[in-house]
Amino acid sequence: MTKSRRKIGVAIAAYGVVFISLIFFILPMLWIIYCSFRTQSSIFTGVVLAPLHEFTLENYKTILSVTDYPTYFFNSFKIATVVSLLALVCSIAGAYGLSRFKIRWKNAIILGIFSTQMFPQVLLIIPMYLIVFSLQMLDTVMGVVFGQLILVLPFSIWMLKGYFDNIPVDIDDSARIDGCNVFQRLWYIMLPLGAPGIMVAGFFSFVVSWGDYLIVSIISQSQRTATATLVIQRLSSALLIRWGQVAAAAVLTIVPTIILFSFVQKRLVEGLTAGAIKE
Amino acid sequence: MILRKQQGILLILPALIVMGVFTFYPLLEGIRIAFTNKHLLKEGTEFVGLQNFARLASDEIFWISLYQSIVLTAVVVCLQFVFGLILAWAMSQELPGMSWFKSIIMASWVIPVAATVILFKFMAQPDVGLINIIIKGLGFENLNRYWLGDLKVALPFIMLLHLWRNVPFYGIAFLAAMQAIPGSYYEAAEIDGANAWHRFWHITLPGIRNMAIVMVTIHVLWTFNNFDFVYLATGGGPVNATDVLPVYVYRQCWSSYTLGYGASIGTIMLLLLMVYFIVFIKISDRGNIS
Repeated sequence: MTKSRRKIGVAIAAYGVVFISLIFFILPMLWIIYCSFRTQSSIFTGVVLAPLHEFTLENYKTILSVTDYPTYFFNSFKIATVVSLLALVCSIAGAYGLSRFKIRWKNAIILGIFSTQMFPQVLLIIPMYLIVFSLQMLDTVMGVVFGQLILVLPFSIWMLKGYFDNIPVDIDDSARIDGCNVFQRLWYIMLPLGAPGIMVAGFFSFVVSWGDYLIVSIISQSQRTATATLVIQRLSSALLIRWGQVAAAAVLTIVPTIILFSFVQKRLVEGLTAGAIKE
Repeated sequence: MILRKQQGILLILPALIVMGVFTFYPLLEGIRIAFTNKHLLKEGTEFVGLQNFARLASDEIFWISLYQSIVLTAVVVCLQFVFGLILAWAMSQELPGMSWFKSIIMASWVIPVAATVILFKFMAQPDVGLINIIIKGLGFENLNRYWLGDLKVALPFIMLLHLWRNVPFYGIAFLAAMQAIPGSYYEAAEIDGANAWHRFWHITLPGIRNMAIVMVTIHVLWTFNNFDFVYLATGGGPVNATDVLPVYVYRQCWSSYTLGYGASIGTIMLLLLMVYFIVFIKISDRGNIS
């Protein structure tokens, strides 16, 4: 009797937490999507439930056809894709090496990789700007890519190493005895078995690159490399803010990350926390 | 045939080269610049010894930023930890709809920070922002204001943005750790008559210990180094009310062009984080042995 009553109490409390969380975490996103379909004057009435005739696609039309936003969106896409691919190649190989091979000073290397998380990026970017400048890569896609790689590589390697550590060594060993070389083992065993973790690492790199402001703001100098993130910031700090258009641009910038998120969402936790749950 | 040892080195080589060129070299170079008067637009850089550090010791904005950085990091990480635990507890209940909730709750973590800032800037607008609409609806007409422009509220509002982004990540991570605790522990404790609080204190908390250490370590570093929330939301204003060290470094370097001075502040940040890192690792190691 008391036990079932306690269970009901727990359920009510848990749903209470869920309800508050939905309002706090999800409502702001729904609100901006909702407002991106309203006219400027409708938003300025300060009314929550606007009448039907105040809804419009004008904001999206303006952002997509009048402004340069599509160029920036495409830049973001290009940069984030290259960053993810390069980060995956480096971190899969690196994590595999650290997970399966005897390497001198291995622990020091792992600690070194982890310790990069404490380096202030605002400090790193000063010499990085000078390096990129002297390589004549300012305002180029590759310049931005190399800058952003350092944001994602350490975490990506650490995460994948944790994931690979959880794949039984026996499979790897028996393939070696059967005569598979290191690349065959990586290709036929680690890639398929590690696929969920690799997907998460790729997703992580893409999202970090897509959302980066710091590095793009320094290395990008023009339309050639400016990204969607940079541009929505500019739109939202103009003197006269057109909130409807800002909302539409923000929604367009959010959408790719949410779409990718929906693909990896089940694996995300497993992948992100593989390094921490081992023991 | 390449030896096994060399294979391992070859595999990690690409990552080490990229990090060497774009992380470790810039770090050393950044520290070196901290001892010079390097200016972005002026030729001729000279070694000036500790001059930059002497200057920042008497720089009021540096001390304000340092103080606010520490307060922001401490408050944000503590609150994230507590709310993350509560969220994880709720999600660990097997109730209808919970798996749906778990699948969408991390959405705030994946969207760009610049977009997060816009969401909240928009909601904080006077008269037309959702926050003010609700507040007015509740009858507190006189509280209507631009929340990020208010001297007293701006910094707590920035903290709120951090919570919005990271609490779900904590919740999901803690949940994963909780689910790795064998259910038999709880059953045994229940038979022994342990109440919910005891079970939480003696089974759940030790069970998620490793995860908690990783989450706190990483988030202290990430929050202290975080640049975009403050820079994009307020730029450090109103009147330095939200200034934090990364934003101050950025302004010194890219608005005032004094790279040397900016680098010296960055070097101080690095020193503080190294001290934290070493102390925290020591403490959590000691706990492991006992």
